[in-house]
Amino acid sequence: MSIDFYWRLPTHGCHNSIQTSGYERGDWSPLRPGNIAPGRDRDGEVDGFTYIDHLAAIAQAAEAVGFQGGLIPSFPNTDDPWVISSLLARETKSFRFMIAFQPGFGNPVHTARMAASLQRATGGRLLFNIITGGGGPAQLWWGDSFAHDDRYGRTSEFLDIFKGVWNASDFSYDGAFYQLRSGGLAPALRGEEFPEIWFSGSSDAALQTAARHADYYLSWLEPFDQLGEKFARVKERTAALGGEQKCAVRVDLVARATEEEAWADIEKGFSNVSEEARQRWGGQGSDSVGAARQAALRPADARRYDDLIVAPNLWGGFSLLRGGPALGIVGSYEQCAARLDDLIARGTDAFILAGTPHLEEAYRVGEEVLPLLGRQASALPVAAE
Amino acid sequence: MTLSVHWRLDPAAEPRRSEPGAWQRLPALARDRRVSTQNRFDYFLQVAQAAAQTAFDGLFVRHRIEADESRIIAAIIARAVPHIHVVPEFPASVGSAVYAAKQATTFQRAAHDRLGWAIAPDAEPAGREAQADFVSDGDLAQRLDEFLTVARGVHRERPFSFKGSYFEVENGGFDAPLNRASFPRVYLQGSGDAALALSGRHADMHLFAPASTEALAKDIARLNALADGRSVAAGLIQPLLVRDERQTAERDARDRPLAPGTLVASYDEAAEILAGFAAIGITELVLEATPTLEEAYRIGQHLLPRLRALTSAARQAA
Repeated sequence: MSIDFYWRLPTHGCHNSIQTSGYERGDWSPLRPGNIAPGRDRDGEVDGFTYIDHLAAIAQAAEAVGFQGGLIPSFPNTDDPWVISSLLARETKSFRFMIAFQPGFGNPVHTARMAASLQRATGGRLLFNIITGGGGPAQLWWGDSFAHDDRYGRTSEFLDIFKGVWNASDFSYDGAFYQLRSGGLAPALRGEEFPEIWFSGSSDAALQTAARHADYYLSWLEPFDQLGEKFARVKERTAALGGEQKCAVRVDLVARATEEEAWADIEKGFSNVSEEARQRWGGQGSDSVGAARQAALRPADARRYDDLIVAPNLWGGFSLLRGGPALGIVGSYEQCAARLDDLIARGTDAFILAGTPHLEEAYRVGEEVLPLLGRQASALPVAAE
Repeated sequence: MTLSVHWRLDPAAEPRRSEPGAWQRLPALARDRRVSTQNRFDYFLQVAQAAAQTAFDGLFVRHRIEADESRIIAAIIARAVPHIHVVPEFPASVGSAVYAAKQATTFQRAAHDRLGWAIAPDAEPAGREAQADFVSDGDLAQRLDEFLTVARGVHRERPFSFKGSYFEVENGGFDAPLNRASFPRVYLQGSGDAALALSGRHADMHLFAPASTEALAKDIARLNALADGRSVAAGLIQPLLVRDERQTAERDARDRPLAPGTLVASYDEAAEILAGFAAIGITELVLEATPTLEEAYRIGQHLLPRLRALTSAARQAA
């Protein structure tokens, strides 16, 4: 069995280091000397580069070391994945664009035509991380007033139509959320590979929709046995519903030559987080079941970085250092590879990896960690916990 | 007033060019080394490069359900081709107005504010229903009104809330750095008072269809009257068939189907007529002709210099 490894494009700027909280790459923090894309030239003038130039560098690094492509997340204050993918289509060669997308935001037929156009522009390098959860205040920020379970029904209908029109000239549909009479992609746009669908969402409504539509079920990292059980349950549940689900996990790594170096970076990063920032930890309100599963892992008052070590090489404070999930892997190159092997042994079929800064860490993880994979797989299924 | 001149790309025109599935096989004696990475977008980029190199100000990309999607084409062009403005045309049925506005910010940030939005004319009911769009004829204007209200609203204000028949936002609005990008210049089309009044509320530029100078002058006056103090510029979409001499143009016109209102003329005559439009208040021209690539070069090299000479002389005289 071969495993697909993806990287991530940071769509909300990037830090110079896991130790610092400022966004020195992009324009999410005030422009200071040494900032990249945009930066200042030798005369102090704004240099004309924009954040897309840095994203191009990360995508090119990821494809150079053998990542299949990258997840391109979408939140209220990020750049947009569709536009990023279009902008970078012609300056990448093999990088596959995993667009995070909430189906409610687009007309399904128009979205299918956009997807087919991108397939044609990139030679079939498009795939989707379909997001339905979130919700709460953030959902109304986006202009979406649907209730949680309604949104899954809508996602399901959206994907029915998206698939229905893909290679058809005369497709009709009569759903609760969408109707369509005799539609289909034009002949010039037909025949492209249908984009792989990666699905997130941990609720029952999510799993039902996943069984029907998804190729991969994507989870944040959870403690390994818990995640293994979850993946087994997803595979069992979706099989019972008549689907087949591969499972994937999104995980950040701090991989260094030695374990001591890796934890030293974490310790420094943790010490740079103000007491106030730690109190704010938790973020925007959401009715996402996935977010709640992660929040439940959070030790209430961590005083030291190592209060947040939840298992060997597993640290629960990543969301203090940058946006996103709390849990991630910290260790030597060998340990990081072994932990990924552990996850494979627990049913993981694909990974979205990331590290900060995303450009340099794409090279590091690609060159130092990925080559060590599979060496200890048979010895380590239960060694970690 | 300076006259801006744009070229218009119809993604469905010259459908065989750079379309891998439509390659004409070369005879066996000619070695064919084309590769699978060549695709339709090569042609779109060539047209855009031609427009940029012949000093057009911008490139409009038509909305055509037969062909690739205009905003995808526009972003690919903007990344590869410097200087020119890129104006994809799309219908208000694309989906969420917030999402469309947010996508525009990424485009603007990456391309240094070179994006415009041209809202496509509404399709017939059967065409809309094939696009999963069941808004009735009578409600289309209201939907477009709300679409642009919300798109501009979330770009300009934070928090922004709105509750209409088609769009709803609560505590929305973009934060820095997204809100630093300019909102795309909005181009609306259509004839009649309702269309002009909608442009009066929302458009930066109303694009007229080909007409006589006298008719356009009346339309422009009506647009200004309905804009009620808001400034809306007037533009013209003008299909062309121009040649060195008028006889050649007329001869070529007999050989082909022409878009309604196509101006068939010599370079000199066309320059005079277009300068006449500028004189009555048209400030942007959207020119089109096929084949799109060759005609971009022809019109860019032969007509534009003549036109610009006339309009700058008129400016100096004023």
